[in-house]
Amino acid sequence: MIFGSQKAPVIRMSNVSKRYGKMEALRRLSLDVYENEFIFVSGPSGAGKSTMIKLLYGGEMASSGAIIVDGMNLARMSRKQLPALRRRLGVIFQDFKLIPTKTVYQNVALVLEVGGLKPKEIRPWVMEALEYVGIGDRADELPPVLSGGEKQRVAVARAMVGAPKIVLADEPTGSLDPDSAARIFSLLKAVHRSGATVIIATHDQQMINHHNGRMIRLEKGRIAVPEIPEAAKNPNRPEEQE
Amino acid sequence: MLINALRRAMTDIRDNKFLHVVSIVTIALSVFIVSAFSLFFNNATDFLDAWQKGVRIVAYLADDLPAADRDEIRKNILYLQGVSAVEFISKADAYEDLRQKIGRQSSLLDGLEKNPLPDAFEITLADSFRNLVDIENLAATIAARPHVEDVEYAQKWLHRFNGIYNLFKITGLVLAGIFFIATFLIIANTIRLIMYSRREEIEVIRIIGADEAFIKYPLFIAGLAQGFLGGIAGVVLLYLAYILTVPNFSRDTVFSFFEIRFVSMEFAVALIFCSMMIGWVGCYFSIRKFLKL
Repeated sequence: MIFGSQKAPVIRMSNVSKRYGKMEALRRLSLDVYENEFIFVSGPSGAGKSTMIKLLYGGEMASSGAIIVDGMNLARMSRKQLPALRRRLGVIFQDFKLIPTKTVYQNVALVLEVGGLKPKEIRPWVMEALEYVGIGDRADELPPVLSGGEKQRVAVARAMVGAPKIVLADEPTGSLDPDSAARIFSLLKAVHRSGATVIIATHDQQMINHHNGRMIRLEKGRIAVPEIPEAAKNPNRPEEQE
Repeated sequence: MLINALRRAMTDIRDNKFLHVVSIVTIALSVFIVSAFSLFFNNATDFLDAWQKGVRIVAYLADDLPAADRDEIRKNILYLQGVSAVEFISKADAYEDLRQKIGRQSSLLDGLEKNPLPDAFEITLADSFRNLVDIENLAATIAARPHVEDVEYAQKWLHRFNGIYNLFKITGLVLAGIFFIATFLIIANTIRLIMYSRREEIEVIRIIGADEAFIKYPLFIAGLAQGFLGGIAGVVLLYLAYILTVPNFSRDTVFSFFEIRFVSMEFAVALIFCSMMIGWVGCYFSIRKFLKL
């Protein structure tokens, strides 16, 4: 189990606060995340889940405190260094954030293009990722013609194609029907099994209950008393969604 | 990296055809206007030069001037700077010349009791001496000589043409400046519009780890391409206007003594280079402003 591990954490948040004017979205949050953990960050709307994810990929800077992600200190990081950190991460959003004018293939390939790979090298990786999420046959389609579930599968393929060490997902099933949501969770589990650390911000209690993982509950920007999901209470129970 | 950026720049241009075409047309029109003024200046200078080569100063002498005094004046004028030759035209020769020129109406001269024309010197200027102010000063110096009653040269013509030339020169420079500023602003705004229309895409690209070079290079290439294509189109447009217009200037008009020439290759290349630089600078400012957000 991860708790009490002597390994260095891949993510460390120490007394992190984030303020938007007078409103405090996160209050002195401290958290260690270890390699290959599968973490749910839950809580009601406005609890600070999305803010926490944004701080982790450098979408926003903390008002105070220290954040270390994969050995890189975000507080000391210049704007120029931020892309290098982001290339080590995979990020998934509730609104998918796909580029509507680019095909499914191009959306996924962009990650590797940004990483400096040549088009010939990119193709097999992208096709493998698309096949993995079950959308290889729609590689030439534009995102607007896809369903919500398909779009999110493309987003998962984009997040995993660069083989990131850490995958961050902000409400990945928030706008999906239950079947699509279950499929996305299964894919994220598979990403986790491949060795990545996965952090999912979600308020989908049903999904949390059906999957093993450490749960962090945020309330008013602070970590509430940790809860152990049902599935974690009985580790021998097979996961329903996989 | 560069090939990748080139490829993405081409995609950007394809995806934002309308905005790019507007920029290219604007640059083409600016280049057309600037190069049209340059064409006018070059040819107006040639015209003025060619015309001034034909300018002579005629100094009219007092009546009944002794030959010795006449020779003295001639020598004095010949020594003046800018004078290459001085020819004496006697009043009798002038009268005979006039009679021949007016042809059938020469009988009108028969009524005159005596020849009213004065003796004169026709002064030819050196090739290097073509400046209007110099010509004016020389004419004034000759007019101030004793026994010289009056001097004549094509003052009015020279003054009028010089005035028009200077007016066009100032107007051209001002217009060129305005058009280049307008071009710069249009390119800057086009790039800003492109970036604004793609702000979500840029946000996504940044999230997946693109550095600023990855975002900026294709836009810079697009700005340079706009400048290049606009510059070429402007020069081609001027050339078309040139070949369609110049043959209409008949050989026996005022333009008969010189050939209207197109802008030099060096100038055209410099203009295209300037357009590219404007494209680049316009891009630089809008990107700098946008990426700060």
